Amino acid sequence: MIRVAGTVLKLEDINKSFGGIHALKNVQFELSEGEVHALLGENGAGKSTLIKILTGVHRMDSGKILIHGKNVVIEDPVDARQKGIGAIYQELSLIDSLTVAENIFLGHEPVGNFFGNLKKKELTGRALEYLNTFGIEIAPETPVSDLGLGQKRIVEIVKALSINANILLLDEPTTGMSKAEIDTLFSIMDDLKSKKVTMIYISHYLDEVFRVCDRATVLRDGENAGVFKIGEVDLKTLVRAMLGRTLKEEFPGRSGFPGRETVLEASEFRSEGMAAPVSFKLHRGEILGITGIIGSGKSELALGLFGVDRKVAGEIAVKEERAAITSPNDAKRRGISFVPEDRKVQGLFLRLPVEHNITIANLALSMKRGIISYRKRFEIARETAEKLKVTPLDVKMPVQNLSGGNQQKVVIGKWLCGATDIFILDEPTRGIDIGAKTEIYSLINSLADNGAGILIMSSEFREMSGVCDRVLIMRKGSVVSELAGEELTTEKILTVALGG
Amino acid sequence: MDKKIETGERKTVNWVKIKRLLKGELGLILILVALLAVFSFLSPYFFTSKNLLNITRQVSITLIVAIGMTFVILTGEIDLSVGSAAALVGVTTAVVLKASGQLELAMIAGLLMGAGIGIVNGLLTVYGRVQSFIVTLAMLGVARGAALVWTGGKPISKLPADFGTMGAGYLGVVPVSSIIAAGIFVLAFFVLNRTKHGVYMKSIGANREAARLSAIPVKRYRVLAFVISGVMSGLGGILITSRLLSAQPTAGEGLELNVIAAVILGGASLSGGIGTVLGTLLGTMVIGVIDNGMNLVGVSSFFQQIVKGVIILVAVLAKRSD
Repeated sequence: MIRVAGTVLKLEDINKSFGGIHALKNVQFELSEGEVHALLGENGAGKSTLIKILTGVHRMDSGKILIHGKNVVIEDPVDARQKGIGAIYQELSLIDSLTVAENIFLGHEPVGNFFGNLKKKELTGRALEYLNTFGIEIAPETPVSDLGLGQKRIVEIVKALSINANILLLDEPTTGMSKAEIDTLFSIMDDLKSKKVTMIYISHYLDEVFRVCDRATVLRDGENAGVFKIGEVDLKTLVRAMLGRTLKEEFPGRSGFPGRETVLEASEFRSEGMAAPVSFKLHRGEILGITGIIGSGKSELALGLFGVDRKVAGEIAVKEERAAITSPNDAKRRGISFVPEDRKVQGLFLRLPVEHNITIANLALSMKRGIISYRKRFEIARETAEKLKVTPLDVKMPVQNLSGGNQQKVVIGKWLCGATDIFILDEPTRGIDIGAKTEIYSLINSLADNGAGILIMSSEFREMSGVCDRVLIMRKGSVVSELAGEELTTEKILTVALGG
Repeated sequence: MDKKIETGERKTVNWVKIKRLLKGELGLILILVALLAVFSFLSPYFFTSKNLLNITRQVSITLIVAIGMTFVILTGEIDLSVGSAAALVGVTTAVVLKASGQLELAMIAGLLMGAGIGIVNGLLTVYGRVQSFIVTLAMLGVARGAALVWTGGKPISKLPADFGTMGAGYLGVVPVSSIIAAGIFVLAFFVLNRTKHGVYMKSIGANREAARLSAIPVKRYRVLAFVISGVMSGLGGILITSRLLSAQPTAGEGLELNVIAAVILGGASLSGGIGTVLGTLLGTMVIGVIDNGMNLVGVSSFFQQIVKGVIILVAVLAKRSD
């Protein structure tokens, strides 16, 4: 089944350990020329490690890397690039203050031979050439700061190609992109394929994998769990390979149901960041979704409700009592918790231990007579981490060493240990794997079953229809529709959110 | 498989704990021991209790100011005005002491001046949104200038002898200023590790946005860090004045660089969130031992500066590599 002819890259028996943890065990990986090859696996399955070996960030302990059949050693990221491996990571590497053209040729600018002066015209001209080749309508003179996220990622791809990359690695390229931007990206990928560029595609969105990929290599616990031809495999089989078990239910059921008491009410509420006023009621035991595409105003609403952005109009009532919330501390005192959309930037103290992260928002609980008790803090953190199934269960470890899903559990854990019964969760499952998602859904359910009111902002429509009791759809800052019961389906949300 | 992990855990946790502790401070302790050994070998007088106590007296002022600086650096800021603040506080204390004859009143006035300088630094940085490097660089000039203008550039001397106890006195064989510095160290250690104030300031330095969204009153604590630094500089200034029984408007020149060097040597990160007062103590001791040892050995003071610079660089590089 695996063709040997036209193999551009082959990894054989790759092993890598970190301390005592065997991250990769005899992993095999093979890329055929001009294919889009998905690399799948849960967080912690070894995808990132494999990628880092391929891009020269880590050195493997043993194994072979063959490029076009030739045994090679990848020394460092620069060496990887010279060997034709270009990587586009989730975190953008573009410099905002430079233009598109300058970014594309950063580090290998066409320069005059006398003073090393930049040849601006040639730079712009060559950038335009590249952009035209792929039918991208971005002017090379545009400063990168003026571009949207999707366009930036496309510029990154062009940048990688400009250094003659023939193996392109795309790590979660669609994160934060709008539907139209994703379509553009995919058509560019098709074009690259016809130009014999080989791509490794990493994504948590399996529907994307089915749309653009030819084959998929699945890793599980650092080992190969199968190579599949996308045309011949179904979603269930892939998921089973990733999890090593059948996914019973992606969206676990609830035992409770929404109560009648309103725990959070916004009336014509508008904060500085919001384009238009919004009204809604959140009830005890209810999971209320607020959805819409990127830029619909969900996150701004969340920041406004939590007192981060200043209120400019309207009212908020907490438990049927008018509440002036002017700071996150006010919100916290009224029992509101907030899990922000970007866990690394807004949610976590990455270099500090898990116990610090979990206890920081409710530090009073770790104190005895006003003094922090290390033991109490450890116990609270440990108990919370255990409840959330954080793995590994070492609360003294810096949170940056955890996988994305586990990091997200820590952000939620930060509020869980306190007295809170209103949760605002902004994109609570972004960038985490299916297994961890399901765990977070179960957690949300049990919080609601225990009488909390939960507000989820998410742009994953399937998640909204699967988890929420009721969903409000926002478009350009306003709530345009409300769906519940039979009407609450992914298709219906999609239609309304995109402007049906 | 889970069982296995459970049973093996106790050992691993302890080992990991020790490793974590060592990684932070062991390198510095080793450097300190090595320096002590080298100087003991080079000078017979070096490793005597008298000289070692002398070192603690010599470093006491740097240590107190460095502890204040640790708070500022932990929140991700810098305070360049500490040397000038020390001078202005010294002058303030001396003026009030001369006018009133009351020691307590004079010291309170001095410390209030220090706190005031810290508040201005903090407010301008936090609410004025000017980088602390710039704010405190300006304050470095303003406070020094104020001390010079106030005194007409001449020292205020002939202060009452009982004022000298703090800076120059001994309790038994132990210098009083060393005891004060030790007290400040213990207090700072406690505040930083055992109270919410310290933990909040550390969090703010580690990730300001996450701190804000964790309901920490970020602005207030950022200002507080500057106030602590101001008060500690003030205490340093009072001790300098007490030691000399004279307030010099030029006191503490270049102190800020020594202090920042000690804090950084102690493992703090200039980008905030990382640093301990124990590290600062060790960093200060390393610098103090180098100064003292080289003086005893008779290294020329010009050459001393080079050696000190190189040792700081080597120590920081060595720490980074492990």
